[in-house]
Amino acid sequence: MATIPELRGYLGDLSAILWNFGAVSPTPTLDPYDDGSYGFEFSVLLPGSAAPKPAMIKMMETWEPARAGQYTQVEYEYDFVEYPLDRRRAFHRHDEEDFLREFGVAVHEHCEEVLKKPACDHYMGLPIDGYEAIQRFTILWGQPGPLGCSALRCMK
Amino acid sequence: MQKKQFLTPADIALELNISTSTVLRKIHAQEIPAIVVSDRIYRIPAAAFELYKAGRLKSAQPAPLGRPRPRPRIGEGENKPVAAGVAALRRA
Repeated sequence: MATIPELRGYLGDLSAILWNFGAVSPTPTLDPYDDGSYGFEFSVLLPGSAAPKPAMIKMMETWEPARAGQYTQVEYEYDFVEYPLDRRRAFHRHDEEDFLREFGVAVHEHCEEVLKKPACDHYMGLPIDGYEAIQRFTILWGQPGPLGCSALRCMK
Repeated sequence: MQKKQFLTPADIALELNISTSTVLRKIHAQEIPAIVVSDRIYRIPAAAFELYKAGRLKSAQPAPLGRPRPRPRIGEGENKPVAAGVAALRRA
């Protein structure tokens, strides 16, 4: 649960962390959505090789009203597409009812050792936040070798 | 010679002419941005070090509020889980 000022602080933190790693992006905003929820959506380009395109991190979250002045996170999408090494890693929470019904989990992950050629559509995951997503993506960033998709549990 | 994309604390120490332990103190104090690979391994993006040297690192500020807009669809374009019965029908 978080208030709007806390969410603004959290988003400001994420933005500063990425900027300080040399990432390029416009300043993200915390946006009010037409259904009463709040959220953010932004992408940054990481420095380093730009062939065929620079590596990219995308961060999206949606927070719905819970009780007076408080919001609870209901969805996220953290994506890391490393074009120079032709691979992708992602942590998602969306379509929760579908995932709970089919797999008994609220969140899932993606892992593509070769971009757009996943060995599995959805991997089991644990809930994380934006700080941990950035931490996990930047550990992988620019490091040759496999992402380790084969060690993850495929849910299909 | 190709420029390194990532630096070690020892690389930074050499360039700043300080000890590696001083670099590590600066990393722990969050003065120098670093990727924490493990308790003992830190990796500093070269771009981050350039920002540090130029005094262009940012301290976190609350993000501005944006304008009202439609709620974006998270997970759009992704294959969704298919109910077991539907999947069986599709295979048939």
